[in-house]
Parts: sequence; C-alpha cells; structure tokens
Amino acid sequence: MKKTLTVNLGGTVFNIDDDAYRLLDNYLSNLKMHFRKEAGADEIVDDIERRISELFAEKLSAGLQVITIADVEEVIARMGKPEDMEAEGEEAGAGSTNAGGTNAGGGYGAGAWSSNTVYNTTRRRLYRNPDDKMLGGVISGMAAYLGWDVTLLRLLLLVILICGVGTLIPVYIVCWLVIPEARTAAEKLSMRGEAVTVENIGKTVTDGFEKVANGVNDYMKSDRPRTFLQKLGDALVMIVGWFLKICLVVFAIICSPILFVFGIVFVALLFAAVMVAVGGGAALISLFPMADVVLPVSPLSAIVMYIAGILLVGIPLVSLVWGIFSQIFKWQPMNSGLKWTLVILWIVSAACFGICFAVQGATFPELGIFSF
Amino acid sequence: MDVNNVKSQMRKGMLEYCIMLLLHKEPAYASDIIQKLKEARLIVVEGTLYPLLTRLKNDDLLSYEWIESTQGPPRKYYRLTEKGKSFLGELEISWKELNETVNHISNS
Repeated sequence: MKKTLTVNLGGTVFNIDDDAYRLLDNYLSNLKMHFRKEAGADEIVDDIERRISELFAEKLSAGLQVITIADVEEVIARMGKPEDMEAEGEEAGAGSTNAGGTNAGGGYGAGAWSSNTVYNTTRRRLYRNPDDKMLGGVISGMAAYLGWDVTLLRLLLLVILICGVGTLIPVYIVCWLVIPEARTAAEKLSMRGEAVTVENIGKTVTDGFEKVANGVNDYMKSDRPRTFLQKLGDALVMIVGWFLKICLVVFAIICSPILFVFGIVFVALLFAAVMVAVGGGAALISLFPMADVVLPVSPLSAIVMYIAGILLVGIPLVSLVWGIFSQIFKWQPMNSGLKWTLVILWIVSAACFGICFAVQGATFPELGIFSF
Repeated sequence: MDVNNVKSQMRKGMLEYCIMLLLHKEPAYASDIIQKLKEARLIVVEGTLYPLLTRLKNDDLLSYEWIESTQGPPRKYYRLTEKGKSFLGELEISWKELNETVNHISNS
C-alpha cells in the first residue's frame, strides 16, 4: 500500500505515488538548477514537464490508474539526466558556461551549470549546521569543517567547560552570532567540503527529503519539536544576540565622532607629510610653531623619513579610498600581486620610518613627537 | 582523444541543422520532432531537444504557436521564421561544402 498524491503536470492532473512524486520533483528541480543560467530556463523545464505529462498520459490511456516510481524512472531514462542533455550538447553551451563563469560567486554557478567543467570547490567553509544542532549548530558546523565527529567534539568541549574554562561560553555565543547558518544546499555542501555540483545538490535535496520522510534525523532536526530546555536556550540566545547587536550599534554610534576625528587627524597628517616633502624642514617648522626651530642634522635620513612617512600614511589611505571607490563603482578588485607589493612596501617604509624616527627623535625629541 | 567525444562534437552542429530542416518542411510540435530525430538516431535522450528549441526560438530562428489538440492540452507548434529560413540556407551551403571536402579528401 502506498500513499498517492494528485499533481498538476503540464496542465493535466495525475495520481502519483508518494515515492514517484519525490523522484519526479527531485528530477525537475535538478533540471531547473541545471538550466538556470540559460535564457528561458523556465520555458525549457515547462516544455519538458509537458512532454513528461504527455508520456504519462500515454501510460494512463493504456489502462493504468496511478503513476508509479517505475514509470517515473522510465520517463527519466527517456528524457535523460541533466548532464546527458549537456553531453550531447550544443555549441551555445560553451559560450554560456564562460558567461556564467565570470560572475559565478565562488565558482558555484559555473560548476553547477555544466558537468563538463565541474568545479571542484572542495574548499571548506565554516557554517553553522542547522540540521544537527543542540543550541546554535556551532559545534556541529565546526565538526563538519574539521571533519571530526560531532559527538566527540561536543563531549570534548563539555569536558573543557566543566574543567572551568568559562570563557568558552562567550566564545560560543560570539561564534553563534558571527558564523552564518548554512541555509542552501550549496552552503551545506561547502560546509562539508563536498564539491558543489548538480549531482551533489540533488543528493542533498533528496537526503533532506529522506530524512524528513523517514524521521531518520530524530529530534535534532530543526523543524522537529525541540525540548523545552532547547527552546529556552534558543530564546535566550536570540535575546542575547539582539542585545549584543544593539550594543554593537550603540558602540558604533558612540565611536563615530572619534572615528571622524581620527579621519581628520589622518588627513591632516597626510597633508603635513606632503608639505614636508615639498617644502622640506621649513614647512614643518611653520606647521608646528611650538616646536623648537630645528633642522634635522642629516638631510639624507630626513629625506628617507619623509618618503617613508608619506608611504606609511599614503598607502593605507589610498587603499581605503580605492576600496570605497571600487565598492561604489564596481571596479575590478586589486590583483593580489599589487596588493602584496603595497603591503611589503608599507612594511619596509614603516621600518625605515621607525629607524629614522629613532635617530631623529633621539636628537630632537620635540620634533620627534610633533612631526608624527 | 575520445571517440565518443569526437562523435558528439560532430553531432553538435548537425542537430540544429536537422531540426531546422525538419521544420522547413512543415511546422511540428516537439514530440513529432523527437520522433523523427529518434528515427534518424540523431538523439539518444529526449531532453536534449528542449534547450535547443528554446535557444533557436530566442534567436528568432523559430517561432511557435499554441494549437488545440484532440488528445490532451494544447501543443506548441514550432515553425521556421524568415530569419530562420535564410539561416538554414547558409547552413545548407556550408553542409554541401563540408560534404565535398570530406568526399574530396577521402577519394583523393
């Protein structure tokens, strides 16, 4: 005996077995996933749905009452798996894949689209695991990230906690707040470090379904009723989370004038650096009249110090401005070579500046303090 | 060099050409086209056709209209547009050239 469902497939009503329905639904969602980069993806899937409906209608006219899983399997074999459709292929495939590849966030889009260019994004990401959680799913997510056993990790942390390391609690709460929850199938896959491909996504979707259907994933499944204590924990953490977030916002608001002042000081310093570089020691003296009228003994070290100072202040400033502009105008991000060059240059100039500062500061303490 | 890979490469361009050739004779709906392509053993799985039809339609080479069916819901009948016809003409020339090239090489 099986439960049946009534579905509307391509405009015709069918009675379909529960398991057959799940298989078909999974197949159609895989198709949607497969074609989603394509113009007219909905249309393609609609057409395929209509064709499947036609094939079912032929079956029913042969005297059957209900669509069974065997019928669905037969139809899927006939229509082909998403990757088969690509393998027999069409030249537009290559073009679309490239187009998809350029804007694919983390390679997920391109990888999911064409089975020929499977992206092996096996890089793990840290997420909270919503499917297996006691409180927030932090430990579960970490276990998935590290590839450890969840229960073992939980026990370990519990033991550490009991041993008196109370700092774990705030750390846990901060992790809960900061680490995002794995919501989509793709996120769940990258949490476990599995390649994000259509096949795997299909597997996850089916797995999730199986778990709900068979109750395999017992009480810890997030949509299962949770115990009173767990609910209390949830509520508590939610309240704490809000509180902390509000605190953060308040803190940011309080800090904003300070940050503003810092910004102004920063710009002033930059201005001073430029002035010094252009006008030499005289400008510095006129900028800081309260400093004793002194000129550095060694002009060479002074020049080095000025250049280093400009780089020291200028590089972060330019990077900051660049960052803001690239956010606003959607510029290409800086390439990593340039980035590292700048970082190294900054470190070198910081070192040079430090050395010169020490030399100059020792000779002229007032100038040393006021110049930077 | 995988022989299946080369074969599917060869079929790639062919498939569009054959679909357009079929539709040049008379408008047809997807299941008719599938039937004929299967007879010609050009496709193995039916799903291959649908993305192709949609792409050709999006490129204005095909158009379709809904026609009532005696058995079941209305069907999409595809036909070649004017642009599709001139496109097909070019493909035909290219196909003949290819044919000649292959014949020339295999006979010489």
